[in-house]
Amino acid sequence: MTRSPPAVRFGLGIAGVVVLGLAWHLATTLQLVPRVFLPSPEATWKALQRGLSVGDMANQFGGTVQRMLLGWLLASIVAIAIGSLIGISPLARAYLRPTLGFLRALPASATIPIAIALVGLSPTMVLAVVTFGSIWPTLLATVQGFAMVEPRLIEVSRALHMSRLAFIWKIGLPNALPDILTGMRLSMTVALILAVIGEMLAAQSGLGQAILLAARSFRTPDLYAGIVLLGLIGAVSSYGLQLVERRLLRWKSH
Amino acid sequence: MTTATATRPAAVSIELDDVSITLGGRPILEKISLAVPAGEFLSIIGASGSGKTTLLRLIAGLWQPTAGAVRVAGSLVAAPSRDVAIVFQDYGRALLPWRTAAGNVSLALEAMGVPKSERADRIHALLTKVGLGSHAEKYPTQLSGGMQQRLQIARALAQGASILLMDEPFGALDALTRQALQDELLLLAADTKATIVFITHDLEEALYLGDRIVALGSNPGRVITDVPVALPRPRHQLATREHPNFVALRRQLFDVIEGLHA
Amino acid sequence: MIRARALGLFRALAVPVTVLVLYELWFRLTGQDSDTLAPPSAAFSAFLEAVRDGTLATATGQTFASLLSGLAIGGGLGLASGLVIGFSRRADDASFLAIEMLRPIPSVALLPLALMIFGFGYRMEIFVVAFATFWPFLILTQSAVRQVEPRLIEVSRILGLKPLSAARDIVLPAAAPRLMTALRLGTGIALVVAVTCEIASNPQGLGHALMLSQETLRPARMWAFLFWIGAIGLTLNLSLLRLERWLFAHRGDYDASVAT
Repeated sequence: MTRSPPAVRFGLGIAGVVVLGLAWHLATTLQLVPRVFLPSPEATWKALQRGLSVGDMANQFGGTVQRMLLGWLLASIVAIAIGSLIGISPLARAYLRPTLGFLRALPASATIPIAIALVGLSPTMVLAVVTFGSIWPTLLATVQGFAMVEPRLIEVSRALHMSRLAFIWKIGLPNALPDILTGMRLSMTVALILAVIGEMLAAQSGLGQAILLAARSFRTPDLYAGIVLLGLIGAVSSYGLQLVERRLLRWKSH
Repeated sequence: MTTATATRPAAVSIELDDVSITLGGRPILEKISLAVPAGEFLSIIGASGSGKTTLLRLIAGLWQPTAGAVRVAGSLVAAPSRDVAIVFQDYGRALLPWRTAAGNVSLALEAMGVPKSERADRIHALLTKVGLGSHAEKYPTQLSGGMQQRLQIARALAQGASILLMDEPFGALDALTRQALQDELLLLAADTKATIVFITHDLEEALYLGDRIVALGSNPGRVITDVPVALPRPRHQLATREHPNFVALRRQLFDVIEGLHA
Repeated sequence: MIRARALGLFRALAVPVTVLVLYELWFRLTGQDSDTLAPPSAAFSAFLEAVRDGTLATATGQTFASLLSGLAIGGGLGLASGLVIGFSRRADDASFLAIEMLRPIPSVALLPLALMIFGFGYRMEIFVVAFATFWPFLILTQSAVRQVEPRLIEVSRILGLKPLSAARDIVLPAAAPRLMTALRLGTGIALVVAVTCEIASNPQGLGHALMLSQETLRPARMWAFLFWIGAIGLTLNLSLLRLERWLFAHRGDYDASVAT
């Protein structure tokens, strides 16, 4: 199917969003859904403004973002390092990939009780969980990227007597970069989810805890404001990474 | 003639009247005027990018010209019709991979509303006609390239079309298979009396098969040459190629083709 | 052929089994007694115990009930919507911005909302699972419809297939492999989200059993449930993968090696 011209596409797209907004507004004005479950757009907007200016939402926003980014960065470094070491050895790949696959399929949140057992309900626990859970997508993607290195290039590196490290840096990583970046984008999604759950369980200052408390006291506009902010974090981090991806992968012909 | 083919020899013809088409800002074909009488085998040769495939799609009604008119059987072509069948070069992509050979032929009959009770016989007859009688239950991936192309032809015949458009159908096949299919195609052409427009980049193939040759220039595509092929039928792989007219036409057109590639 | 498979199996299990054996030995030799760690042997007996007293079955049933219901609702809606925006360019244009705005919301963000509306129980979990599975189905169905071989669309036009027949005979069979992949991925997501809901708050299912074991200082049981959850995820994925291969391997357009 051919694409619509950009003007038409964006025009219709914005119209779609506007219609959605209007439907939301109508639903609340006509009381189709109880106010306590669906606040009006205006109430949500006010709660958002209030929370960010005089309330604690800016801090909470920062807290969640910080937790997510820190865990994600740590996880990425570890994942790429370990992934490279595993990736360059066909033997290591053969022995480890099935186990890694199994671990990846495990819900990352399932590691929370273990983390609580080991470290208790603390900021460390949340960071540990975020990091540990975010390692897997990037780790597997790195191994996969290395596994797909053109055999011809491996032969070239042998002929040039490249050291392991040189191979990883000059051939392996650039080759694996597209996969790694995709993995990192996935890891980011996981990091956000784990950060939020961690905050909920360990009562850490962040959007996770904020929306949980809002829900408990039926402060629905604040709840929705928190959800909007979380969606924003998800969107910005995802698109930010996509931009980086596009930049770094310019040499690839699509 | 068996009921399996269901082509009607009629005063059907293709008319292109000053047809031009521009795609994505680039003129692909310019002022093409052509008249194809019913039952003629027309070979079209030209360099790649000369819009040969575009021409076929215009006749088939898949695309519309930006200027000029395409007429089939006297009426303007506004949309695809069952009377015009296409055999594509990339047969792997034009066949349904999830249906057997019989199933693929059946698709055309289903589209025509042929009742289930009649279909089995007609499918069998068509597959036998193209030499796939014993391969009816095989999937396209289990068939060789030549067999897949035959399957596509069988489906085109099942359509009951009086016009067959073929887009370099034998281009992806090896030389031996190509020769075999060329002769089979000639037999089918004689049998069904369909009007055939055959695109190829192979001059010898074009001469061997056609009643008439049209050469298209490129950028944009224009009719450079339009000559009849005065060779006796039935054609024979060796005898025809040694015929003095064949050699003469080959030489004459070779220069034209050389000029196109310059 | 069988030797290759046996070798593959050996390699897959060699490292985990060795790690477990070493871990077991370490436990025995150092005489550990911990509230947080447990040797594999203890975990195994705890597993058998959970099977015997029915808690494993109950918890598994609860998680699966939410998983399947949420998947059916979210996946069904996602599939239907994906078909609409796949077939209709206008619908796609009108909805893509709204989709891009709503999709990034992490499903856990809806957990407190679901809790507030439904309280604890099945409905809250089904709500969150449905939301989480809706998006992958929407996107994958749309791309499955869009990526139907253009040559086949031309064939359907030439044969004069009516829209409904074209959809039934050409588009859906062509899209089927991708739709199956969407189902497989969606099931994985449904499991993860269901368990996460239970870990985060819902007092039922495998996630809750996991948390409860930790809270009641029964580490062996905790590890047993953890392993069980992983085993379920693996089995679901492998079975659906098998099904995919069995359904589509004979087709030329299915790349069996791509499936992960």
